[in-house]
Amino acid sequence: MTQLSMKSDSTKTAGLVIIIVAGLLAAASLSRWLDSHRAPLNADAADESLYLNGKTARRMSLAFNGLAADWYWMRSLQYVGKKIINLPENVELDNLGQLNLKTLAPLLDTATSLDPQFLDPYEYAAVVLPSVDVEQAIRITKKGIDANPNAWKLYQHLGYIYWQQKDFQAAADAYSRGAQIPGAPRFFAAMKARMLAEDGSRDTAREIYKQMFEQSADDSVKDMARRRLMQLDSMDQRDVLRKLLTAYQTRTGHCPATWKEIEPVLRSLRVPLVSEAAPMDPSGAPYVLKGCDVDLNPKSEVPGK
Amino acid sequence: MDATQLAKPIEQVKVSHGDAGSFPRIIAIARNAFREAVRDRVLYNLVLFVLLLTAAAIFIGELSGGQERRVIVDLGLSSMLLFGAFIAIFVGVGLVYKEIEKRTIYAIFSKPVGRGEFLLGKYLGLCLTLLVNVVVMGLGVSLALIYVSGGWDPLVLVIWPAMLLIYLELMILTAVALLFSSFSSPALSALLTFFVFIIGHFSADLKSLATSMGSTGARWLFASLYYLLPNLSNYSFITPAAHGQAPTAHFVAMTMLYGVCYIAVVLAAATVVFSRRNFK
Repeated sequence: MTQLSMKSDSTKTAGLVIIIVAGLLAAASLSRWLDSHRAPLNADAADESLYLNGKTARRMSLAFNGLAADWYWMRSLQYVGKKIINLPENVELDNLGQLNLKTLAPLLDTATSLDPQFLDPYEYAAVVLPSVDVEQAIRITKKGIDANPNAWKLYQHLGYIYWQQKDFQAAADAYSRGAQIPGAPRFFAAMKARMLAEDGSRDTAREIYKQMFEQSADDSVKDMARRRLMQLDSMDQRDVLRKLLTAYQTRTGHCPATWKEIEPVLRSLRVPLVSEAAPMDPSGAPYVLKGCDVDLNPKSEVPGK
Repeated sequence: MDATQLAKPIEQVKVSHGDAGSFPRIIAIARNAFREAVRDRVLYNLVLFVLLLTAAAIFIGELSGGQERRVIVDLGLSSMLLFGAFIAIFVGVGLVYKEIEKRTIYAIFSKPVGRGEFLLGKYLGLCLTLLVNVVVMGLGVSLALIYVSGGWDPLVLVIWPAMLLIYLELMILTAVALLFSSFSSPALSALLTFFVFIIGHFSADLKSLATSMGSTGARWLFASLYYLLPNLSNYSFITPAAHGQAPTAHFVAMTMLYGVCYIAVVLAAATVVFSRRNFK
């Protein structure tokens, strides 16, 4: 090969490399432009129904049903995550009814049909779905119980759904059936009695969220339970503070203008205080004084409702 | 494999073992089939597999809601089956065809090598390739599990019996690919083997069809298909493995026995078909 032809070959190669690099850059730029200029889908089109139902997906997945179940599970998490991220304010995982999560039930249903022993989607259905579609939440959880009759956790989820719906008798039944499973924790029997005796008391709620926090493997569920526990503690604290404010009003004839005015009482009760003697909520944010009432700080991590 | 490469080991075998029977010749052919697969860079799929698992181990935790161990097992074992099935089908269908196309088969059969020995040697060579593939992938999945668990994970022990079942499934698939390639073109053989892979996983449906059909003829047809085609769903233990459930030793032994029987039948059929072909 002559020097001239070698040089010509190198020029050709360099030219081709330039075409490849420039082509890729152009394609990437065009792709970005197209993404930003595409007309947004309306909510109904974005929440397109699934092409396959659970049974069909199971048949078509051959030996890969476990992997397909993982795929649908992760799609469920992404689906909820994408909707939450667009919200201007924090919302709780168990209070997402406003988000129009109409594809969530089919996604979780398909994940659990592909792998009926996969327990996490049932838990997610029990926590998130009741505010979206309670019938589906109960159906999917019962489906899980049919497929995993020895999984006591599923009875706990079912009891939680009924408790949220204030159907305390059904919740007590769910805990009662769960208590009969070998290996079920002792609190099941206690929860049955508590559901019948105390209904929707804070102690019952505290016990439910405490168990959920301790037993869930899902970080988002754990976080929701942690915040609900903080909310219950905060409700107790606010009850105490309201009593103090009422007593102060009775004694002086007016409501305190600032927390400083009742600081000695707060200190004597060992209420944790932040700057300007404001009492601290369980997340560490100062409570806001509103006349003779107390409210959560807008920056507080404690859920308002 | 070309004639000169194969001729040398076979000559060596003859010199060293004299008339020691078929076994040394089969081993020589198997060894060459394995070397050929390595030369053809079949094992390069391991690089892709390792990249996939590494990416999964690092990123899947954020996406799976605390289910990274389960996803690693599902992804690792499913990839093992998928990659293995592709190798079994696409390399398996070329085992015989390449020898015919390159005309090296004439040189091979000019030596004292039987048709059955040739097929069995080729089969065992590809099985060895698949074994290396499965073992390396298994080590990769085990390491990924240890990484995501931050230490020893009992799932590591549970996944190996499931991997043994995957390997048995791949052995059956390789035998089927070899059978089709003994009388058909590579493209058609690959398609037919792929169909067998799919239908093999629908065997439960075939059985229920056989029992639910109204006409006796249809019942017989589906029952025959059920018993004729390999029941590959017996080898699907990926999902239970992800839940930490291992197959019992008895179940593994019976599936191994079923696999050996089925492979023997398919290889015997391949030998019968291949023996009728004229290479003179």
